[in-house]
Amino acid sequence: MKIEITKEWCLRMAHLEGDAEIGAGLLSFDPILDSDLLPVSDILDEPGIVFGRFVQLMRRDHGLTIEKLAQDSDVEIAELLEIEDDAHHRPQGRTVYQLANYFKVPHRNLLQVAGLTAPRDSRIVEEGVRFAARLEPVAELSPEERAALEAFVAVIGSE
Amino acid sequence: MTVTVSPIVLFNVEFGEPVNAELWDAITEKQLADWEADWNAELLLALQRLNRAGVDRKQWPQSRHWNWRKKTECIQKMLAYPSFSIMCDGMTQGMMILDTPSKRCRIECQKGKNLVYIEYLENAPWNRKELLFDPPRFRGIGSILILAAIMLSKEEGFNGRIGLHSLPQANSFYANSCGMTDLGIDPNYQGLHYFEMTEQQVVAFIAKGSEL
Repeated sequence: MKIEITKEWCLRMAHLEGDAEIGAGLLSFDPILDSDLLPVSDILDEPGIVFGRFVQLMRRDHGLTIEKLAQDSDVEIAELLEIEDDAHHRPQGRTVYQLANYFKVPHRNLLQVAGLTAPRDSRIVEEGVRFAARLEPVAELSPEERAALEAFVAVIGSE
Repeated sequence: MTVTVSPIVLFNVEFGEPVNAELWDAITEKQLADWEADWNAELLLALQRLNRAGVDRKQWPQSRHWNWRKKTECIQKMLAYPSFSIMCDGMTQGMMILDTPSKRCRIECQKGKNLVYIEYLENAPWNRKELLFDPPRFRGIGSILILAAIMLSKEEGFNGRIGLHSLPQANSFYANSCGMTDLGIDPNYQGLHYFEMTEQQVVAFIAKGSEL
């Protein structure tokens, strides 16, 4: 696609633009350095288990299929499947943000649960492990699962 | 891949003079290689510079929990979308990825109509003053990429309508320099402001660069 732009237009707009920042879209955020991301093993042995089970139970608690959750939260179905079924899967930051928005829990805390940021709140780590250990991924939420889920949501939901 | 190159001009800040450059209607392996090898290296140095200068981390450029690998993967996944890049001195100076089929206008007067949505727009690190590049190397990248998005919108029959989510520190550029309408914080998009340009604003934006 050929675009005709005059030299005068370019220079006039460059003058108006000055040194302004121009970044747009989530991808234009500067990535944090790899060294700022702790290895998953330093945070939890398997953060994917905790995060996956959290997502699965929240979804079931809302009475949603994976397809419906993907649609409503604007997350890829394939990634939701991996989150729920693969303890080694490391979710994308955007996905965690979308799910945090959808489930109305703080982004920062859910990023910790997902193993994408260093834990700042040891309670979340400890409760996450306890939460995962108490659950079995069966079709219906048992009263015990519901109680565990609600207790963990209360921890994640606290700022 | 066939790439069409349009001649453009940037402003070289250090020498205070115009410099010939190119607008490519694609992001190719060349741009990705520049991004990985040069942009990332310069960004790393810039962050070290901010650190040494004692700049509070809260004042650093906006960052999110992408790591390099994830960001590279995301960009590569999006290369099926229309994209543009700006080349000068043999180096990539800016990149933009667009979404033409899936987004719709939100401003009342054009609500529901098609638009070109700017999924991603980024300047090279050495053109960014906030990274302590003083002076930044080139000016004008943002305006030319916005114009390219408008032209694609016209070609698609969308009359120049475009939309985007701005990084917080870029809100002023889109509101003032581009004259776009700020529809406020979008809670579904990590709290970024959503901006949209109407057909009338397109005319004003193009005219702005022609005023003497």
